[in-house]
Amino acid sequence: MAGYPIYKDNREFIKGLEKYGELVTVKQEVDWDLEMGAIVRRVCEKKLPSPYFKKIKDYPGFEAFGAPLATYKRLAIALGMDPDSTVPQIADEYVRRTSSEPIHPVVVDKKKAPCKQHVLLGKDADLFKLPGPMVHDGDGGRYLCTWHFVVSQDPDNGMINWGMYRQMVFDEKTMVGPVLPFSDMGKMFYGKYVPRNKPMPFASVISCDPLAGVAACAPSPIPEDQFTGMLMGKPIEVVKCETCDLEVPAHAEIIIEGDVIPNLTIEEAPFGEYTGYRTSPREPRTVYRVKAITYRDNPIMAVSNMGVPTDEGQLLRSFSLGLEMRKLLESQGIPITGVFMLPESTHHLVVVGVKPAYTGIATQIANLIYGSKLSPWFHMVIVVDDQTDIYDKDEVIHALSTKCHPITGIHKYENAPGTPLNPFASPEDRRWSKGAKVLFDCTFPLNWPKSDVPIKVAFNTVYPKEIQEKVLTNWKKYGFKD
Amino acid sequence: MAKKEYDTFVLTDPALVPQDKEMEMILRDLTPSDRRYKYRSFFASAMVSRNEKKYPDKLWIRLGRGQLQEKPWSVKILKEANKFQ
Repeated sequence: MAGYPIYKDNREFIKGLEKYGELVTVKQEVDWDLEMGAIVRRVCEKKLPSPYFKKIKDYPGFEAFGAPLATYKRLAIALGMDPDSTVPQIADEYVRRTSSEPIHPVVVDKKKAPCKQHVLLGKDADLFKLPGPMVHDGDGGRYLCTWHFVVSQDPDNGMINWGMYRQMVFDEKTMVGPVLPFSDMGKMFYGKYVPRNKPMPFASVISCDPLAGVAACAPSPIPEDQFTGMLMGKPIEVVKCETCDLEVPAHAEIIIEGDVIPNLTIEEAPFGEYTGYRTSPREPRTVYRVKAITYRDNPIMAVSNMGVPTDEGQLLRSFSLGLEMRKLLESQGIPITGVFMLPESTHHLVVVGVKPAYTGIATQIANLIYGSKLSPWFHMVIVVDDQTDIYDKDEVIHALSTKCHPITGIHKYENAPGTPLNPFASPEDRRWSKGAKVLFDCTFPLNWPKSDVPIKVAFNTVYPKEIQEKVLTNWKKYGFKD
Repeated sequence: MAKKEYDTFVLTDPALVPQDKEMEMILRDLTPSDRRYKYRSFFASAMVSRNEKKYPDKLWIRLGRGQLQEKPWSVKILKEANKFQ
């Protein structure tokens, strides 16, 4: 037993969110063509409860669930924690669970798998039978897969990958989407299947349980089906696909099975992306051909809407990227106080707190994390000392603007891997996924005479303990509320 | 019968798109008889004109980042091409 509540599917999670006031049930019919996307977008921008759509135009029997994990509160609920847990508390629990032994999934019989309640094969497996939303006006197509993951398997070592690779509906049987060459699936498909001219079986899992979604976002080296078990504290139940040997979560709402086609590309995009812009060009991208669709009774689509902060992609990717960096730096014995990637940075900026134990420690930190497989996804590292609360944006901005020397405190890294989604990159750099990185060193040099080191002037740094306690004890008596 | 409407993404300067010449392009159906199929894409051999009235169907133009151009063109679809057979 895990010892904390776990939601085996989105139906249970929806009830959990409702219990904590994190859900709005929309009974009025909404249109899949932009209206649903606009609602989810506004929910993300205003940090409102998840919308649960009961009626979708043209698609009787289908429901939809938007912005499932776009706040830390919903993440805490998904993890079975107190909804009011702080970000450091959620981070510590995540690290504790994901540092344990991997927990392998268990395979269940198809009869016990709700995702097999309806099976569409051959011509019946038609993507337009699913209520794929037109998420943003101007997108290149309907993005059926925005909060989902794609299951694939290495043909040589059998390793499983669950990753979030967006998929645009092209026609009844075809989806298209970017698979970047440095991604796990990109290495597998372009490194192994394409050279052998072999189609790669895939299964897109739409609207899985919340922790499988968290795992699919995480850049961990542990296979995501096992990583999900670690987050759950028990194995996830999976079931074999109809048309291939891949296994998918048995309690997911919708599964799309088929092949990723080698040596064929079709134009995909534009799309409103996680950076908050429509940046990457409409270009020939990876093609998925569909063989089967399976789904539950009254299936519930999951809809994420990428744009300006904060959506679940930004929040979870920032959260898990930062914590994988924390594990990396701790494994190297660096005396860090923590790592926090700001979701508002669209997972581009990470703050690392460290005891400045020796000269060059900030550069060492940046070299380590920029040298890791995590690095294509971000490009700004701020290193602050242990006097700065990494979770407090005001403190971080204060440290950045006062302790980072505009010349000697900034270190640039050129010719680094990037992504075509970086809004600041030139069209040529986007085409070649070329990036650049920067370190902002906000630690005072250790070779300064002690008497020359500036003293931080704050309530908790320049008053004796007894004065602080006296003031805090009398605070309300002075007439202040908090 | 009402004109059908399509759109297409033009990745270069729209002024460079050849007029009145058969070419292969990707079109999206904006007015299908079954609304569930709206935005279905397909490869087609077609001729286009900046003159909205020249060909039977209306063609909306979008640029590479989805920017919709103000005035529609017209299009004549000669045949739909299936890339997967």
